[in-house]
Amino acid sequence: MALSTADTAPSVSTPTPTRPTSPPTPRWRSREALTAWLFILPSLIGFLIFTAGPVVAAGVISLLNWNLFSAPTWAGLHNFARLGPDPTFWSALGNTAYFTLVSVPLTIVVSLALALPLNQGVRRVAVFRSLLLLPYATITVAVAFVWIWLYIPHDGLVNAVLGWFGIHGPAWLISDGWAMPALILMSVWKSFGFGMVVFLAGLQAIPQQLYEAGRVDGTSPWNSFRHITLPMLSPALFFVIVTSVIGSFQVFDQALIMTNGGPGTRTTTLVMYIYRTGFENYDQGYAAAQSLVLFAFIVMITAGQFLFQRKLVHYDN
Amino acid sequence: MSTNLSRRRFLGMTGFAGLGVAAAGAVSGCSSGPPAGAATWSMWSSSAAEKKVWDDFGKYVEQQLKVKSIASLTPSTGYPTKLDLQLVSGTASLVTALNGTLIPTYAARGAHRPLDDLIAADPDFSLDDFYETSRRIGSFNGKTYAIGFDVAPTVMYYNKDLLKKQGIPLPSRTEPMSWATFRDLCKQLTKPGQQYGFTCAPAIDDLVSWIYCAGGNVMSDDAGRSTLGDPEAMEALQYVIDLFVKDQVTPPIKNLVTESSLSNFLQGNVAFMQNGPWQVVNARKAKFDWDIIPFPAGAAGSKPRVSGSSFAIPSGVREGAELDLAWKLMKTLTSTGALDIYAKAGRNNPARLSAGSAFQPPPDNLGIVQEILAGKLAGGHAFDVTTNWNQVKQLLGQDLPRTFLGQVSVPDAINGLTPRLDILMRQHLDTVRQATARKG
Repeated sequence: MALSTADTAPSVSTPTPTRPTSPPTPRWRSREALTAWLFILPSLIGFLIFTAGPVVAAGVISLLNWNLFSAPTWAGLHNFARLGPDPTFWSALGNTAYFTLVSVPLTIVVSLALALPLNQGVRRVAVFRSLLLLPYATITVAVAFVWIWLYIPHDGLVNAVLGWFGIHGPAWLISDGWAMPALILMSVWKSFGFGMVVFLAGLQAIPQQLYEAGRVDGTSPWNSFRHITLPMLSPALFFVIVTSVIGSFQVFDQALIMTNGGPGTRTTTLVMYIYRTGFENYDQGYAAAQSLVLFAFIVMITAGQFLFQRKLVHYDN
Repeated sequence: MSTNLSRRRFLGMTGFAGLGVAAAGAVSGCSSGPPAGAATWSMWSSSAAEKKVWDDFGKYVEQQLKVKSIASLTPSTGYPTKLDLQLVSGTASLVTALNGTLIPTYAARGAHRPLDDLIAADPDFSLDDFYETSRRIGSFNGKTYAIGFDVAPTVMYYNKDLLKKQGIPLPSRTEPMSWATFRDLCKQLTKPGQQYGFTCAPAIDDLVSWIYCAGGNVMSDDAGRSTLGDPEAMEALQYVIDLFVKDQVTPPIKNLVTESSLSNFLQGNVAFMQNGPWQVVNARKAKFDWDIIPFPAGAAGSKPRVSGSSFAIPSGVREGAELDLAWKLMKTLTSTGALDIYAKAGRNNPARLSAGSAFQPPPDNLGIVQEILAGKLAGGHAFDVTTNWNQVKQLLGQDLPRTFLGQVSVPDAINGLTPRLDILMRQHLDTVRQATARKG
């Protein structure tokens, strides 16, 4: 087959006159991006000044010996080396882990257990929701003092109720074995409202068609909960777990007010120990080293949760 | 004229307004310090009655110095933290109140300046009018760092009505009773669940009076080691713990944090309360007749803790006019006139002998406070503390209260505490050495 010249001749494009174009505006300099930055700026400035700045400062202070009043001296990694042989640090870390491991699952179970019936078209749901949210909205100091009275060994309400069932209640806040469970119980009561509201929002977003389809297939309520509710609620569950774990690692005020870390060091938490080291013992460097270790723990656990969520959390889209 | 506002223009105006407000706030924040030349001083204040006393102090200062008095009042629990932050940030007042137990802590770290040069250069001021114990409390490492405004020994309050009701003769107003007599009385006055013989705080602050009376101490003379394990201190600790655990002559402890001996005493069913004259003003609310007597005498006699509070000048106060004003303010706040106001309000026994007459009954036997301080009656022991007293107190606060509950025996608690206390004592000595070196 012969090729026509048109096929073989090199194509020559006719240059068309074009206006000189400026290089495209980078995305970060676009008008939308600048507007977005403007809106983010107040929050960003706050974050840099009140969060990132102190974290960096803590990093520097952890390398110093500083009693607040005299000029600091270089300590290198000595403050971190002090952590190993410090029994109170490990005790406080253990107490914090104990608090977290028990209080977070309990809070989630209670929150979910209350959110599920509230999602079933209960009348005056707003009233119940508000009442159940009250403990969360109340300041911890006030709640802690109320619970101190509830826990009074001889005539407190908790032991009085236990007495109706023939149970001799312990001396909650001064007992070696019961002081931490008492704090956990109070903390669960204080914080379940937050999880409940998040779960309620998550439950209301689940399409009803899924349940209807399940009913058509004869799914039992338990299976419906297990295979529809829980997977669809997993983003909310994940959010509550992450925020609860972070909050639990930072537990401070209730322990300070209700037990002051005692008896012994049974309820001394890591944040309480950091505060005492820095502001009562004037050992800022060591307190900063402890706070960085706490920060690392929280980052590692949260990162682990984010890795884990890829397998377990189901997003609608 | 068109008044339409585009969204962009609105956002722009909002942004500028926000920046303006922020800038104005920053500027006003920077300029919100006290006016130059004002007499600034900081103090703890936890009640309206206390505030009234400090307001009167402020008026007295203005009257004497002819400058504006600005008092920074903070509830007592938050006072140390606020003071620390003010000292570090250079925003502390010219004169700051200090609890006596913290004077070595601040002095050793250079937070406050020694006052000896100012005292020596001022012919109008003398420390001779201050109780010796108050002068001792205000000193550290051989120098005067603070000047007292109150000082008092721990005494024993008793419910006169309760003793009369039980047909028990009232105790001597001047002669301290022995520990054995005191224990017998407490047992006699106790009816479990209804009435109790004695109450005190389950803490080192109260235990230390018994330790001093037994001839012991928390630390050795050179503060180089803990002496809580010595026989004298152990005897005292065991005696008090037995009152709680073995004899059960004390109201049951409900909570270690909120336990209050005053609250127990005011219930009207407790015969004796260990406390200081600083609680006289609160005990006057009691609905029964009560009085005070000297602290029971142990092997070393009646030597309860003597504690007090003082005023000090931060190191950050600049030489020159600022320091001159600070010193004048210090003299005014600790003058007989000011302490008269304090004592008349019944807050506590004043640190100056010349203001003593203003601390008046009730109770009838209040005069023993000054007789004890003057060494005419019974005795007292200045509260010996270290430069890391917060840490020592914290450590003792962890394990000692458990002995009051019977959870741990006294020997076990002290054996567990001693090695850690010894470390703190050595750190204290290091701090003293560093402070000495810093001052050349």
